[in-house]
Amino acid sequence: MPPLEEWEKVYLKNTAFLEDEHGKVGCVICHGGDSSAEDKDAAHLGILADPSLESCAICHSDITLSSDISLHATLSGYTHDLEARGGNLNEGTALDEALGNHCEECHTTCGQCHISRPEELGGGLVTSHVIKATPSMQYNCTACHGSRVGNEYLGNNEGIAADVHWTQETMTCTKCHGDELHGSGQSVDDMYDNIDVVRCEDCHEDVLTDDIEQHQQHIGDLQCQVCHSVTYSNCYTCHVGIDQNGLPYRTSDPTVMGFKIGLNPIVSEDRPYTYVVLRHVPVTPDTFDYYGNNLLPDFNASPTWKYSTPHNIQLDTPQNASCNSCHGNEDLFLTEDDVSAAELEANRGVIVINIPEPITSH
Amino acid sequence: MKRILFAAVSLVLLAVLILAGCEPAPPPPAGEEVSSCVICHTDKGLLQETATVVEEQTSEETSGEG
Repeated sequence: MPPLEEWEKVYLKNTAFLEDEHGKVGCVICHGGDSSAEDKDAAHLGILADPSLESCAICHSDITLSSDISLHATLSGYTHDLEARGGNLNEGTALDEALGNHCEECHTTCGQCHISRPEELGGGLVTSHVIKATPSMQYNCTACHGSRVGNEYLGNNEGIAADVHWTQETMTCTKCHGDELHGSGQSVDDMYDNIDVVRCEDCHEDVLTDDIEQHQQHIGDLQCQVCHSVTYSNCYTCHVGIDQNGLPYRTSDPTVMGFKIGLNPIVSEDRPYTYVVLRHVPVTPDTFDYYGNNLLPDFNASPTWKYSTPHNIQLDTPQNASCNSCHGNEDLFLTEDDVSAAELEANRGVIVINIPEPITSH
Repeated sequence: MKRILFAAVSLVLLAVLILAGCEPAPPPPAGEEVSSCVICHTDKGLLQETATVVEEQTSEETSGEG
């Protein structure tokens, strides 16, 4: 996504938005400032570039109330995992400072999905000031969710096909992800904790009753992606700190492509599966060592291989070519050999000890 | 008698208020405040001329994928 020049970020190429309800309320109602001033500085005094919640809530309180506690706003997925590892996020603690310096910029607002590009990526209006009910997949969704989900979905990983939902139907993100993006109205620990999160069966309900033998055999026991996802990216490390100029930095090792089936770490009524696809997340015991020693004292309390839903779905995959493409194929499963010694304890609950036996008669 | 006197005083006060123009202020003409902002923000040349370029400060120590 090429960056915008400063003037482009606020340039209204067209004024079509003035004709809709939002345009009719005027600029100052939401952004503040002084529309009667002739001087630029005076006109912009006290201006709010991204008024979002405060202004949107005036008319859309039903959505903003929920959105305000959604993962997009709170990043509670991060905080939940750090706290699960014993991290102390009380105000003023070293970990709280680190989170503020390196992680919190990734939250979003109403405007950064529906009007402009995300601030973390430089911001700037997407289509003049048109308030898009459906965010741009390119400039909003995958602008943030690009390195893993976006690349997988669009087929940007070398040698790995794009998701069939994209190649065959050109489905954009919001075709599947709808209300969940504004949260469910309840604080959640991660995206799978959201009662409104999309499920494959929402569209493919026929898989529950069709006559495909593999479905009859494995529905409920295997997450859909176990059979229908392919190689995806895994991140292993992330270290953060402040450089000599006072600027925050982060370093990470190169992404590693792979595919691993493991035991389900978040078994629930909605996700009863025994086997699921796992993705390694970028955290290590010393991720925050710049800010203090042992800031994640209970690191092993949460796995580093996480429940995942790679967005590179295929009808036919190497592992579903035949029964024994998967059964007995140790390479597909997360075993102790795949996990570093330092992370073994953290991942005990997801490591597969007994690989499903090959099918000898069928 | 008191009631008549009270009604008369009330009528006088009401007349004074009306004559003084004590009524809700009319809303600003639609589009007035929009246009003054839009005039500048649709002027490509003006924006290029007056935009404040903010130097993006990124640490050179940042490496790897986000």
